[in-house]
Amino acid sequence: MEEFHPHNDEMIFNADEAHNIVKECIEGVLGKADYNHNKVNQWTAAIVEQSLTHLVKLGKTYKYIVTCAVMQRSGAGLHTASSCFWDTTTDGTCTVRWENRTMNCIVNVFAVAIIL
Amino acid sequence: MEKHSKPTKYAAPAGGKRRQHLHDKDSMKEKRKQSNAEALGIAPVEEESFMDLMKTELLTLKANRTKIRYANTYRLESYNKFQDYVVRNKAQEILTNKLQETKYDGVSSPSLCASISEEILMAIKELGYDRYKYVVSILIVEKAGQAINVASRWVWDVQRDTWVSAKCETETFIVLALVMACYYE
Repeated sequence: MEEFHPHNDEMIFNADEAHNIVKECIEGVLGKADYNHNKVNQWTAAIVEQSLTHLVKLGKTYKYIVTCAVMQRSGAGLHTASSCFWDTTTDGTCTVRWENRTMNCIVNVFAVAIIL
Repeated sequence: MEKHSKPTKYAAPAGGKRRQHLHDKDSMKEKRKQSNAEALGIAPVEEESFMDLMKTELLTLKANRTKIRYANTYRLESYNKFQDYVVRNKAQEILTNKLQETKYDGVSSPSLCASISEEILMAIKELGYDRYKYVVSILIVEKAGQAINVASRWVWDVQRDTWVSAKCETETFIVLALVMACYYE
């Protein structure tokens, strides 16, 4: 019975893989654009949805939570913190920071394992 | 030769299944056991007495960090379900208590952020909801005439998992708290 899911016993969240996926998504959406108040909603939604679809395509049995914050660059400070109550052997998180001339973007990915 | 003959025991009556299960597992992990035994400096176990089997299995388990398997509880839901309104009020209360008097300060904000996050997490754990994993995310943004947009999406079980947000605004900064609760068994 257990031979059918051999990979389930040693599931670890691969943060590097997630980092690369998310970075590509951000660059695809924001790329060379300048901050535009009208389009920001579309951008954040697009970044988050694309990241999520790519993460799901990895095919691992995880629940994903993706949060994206896009802020105009004006010298103001931004702090984020997160604390999590989960199983540290299987669950993990990854944060990607990206910036260009006019804006800052922070994306958090949280992955919570599903036990089958 | 012993190793190869074991897997052919599949066609036996249901009564002897459990003992065979051990043997099948054993044949799969025979090689691993051998190499583990060499690594640990013990002679490989040839005779399959039950106690020795259990001991070496435990050692290999520890060595390979496999998951502990629990018995079925036949429970599909949480007994003490996550209550949105209670958690939202609690988070709001913690934010307003902590932040009424403070002014935004670039130096102290990182630790403030982390401490709020831990406080909210501890408060939610105390509420004691059954079978949930939590993720608490805090954002502190200084008010400097800029705009900020925060978006989240998730892939989860819509009937069991939920999220709650709380916001606190002062003259110099805004604090946003996101709490996500994921059901697990």
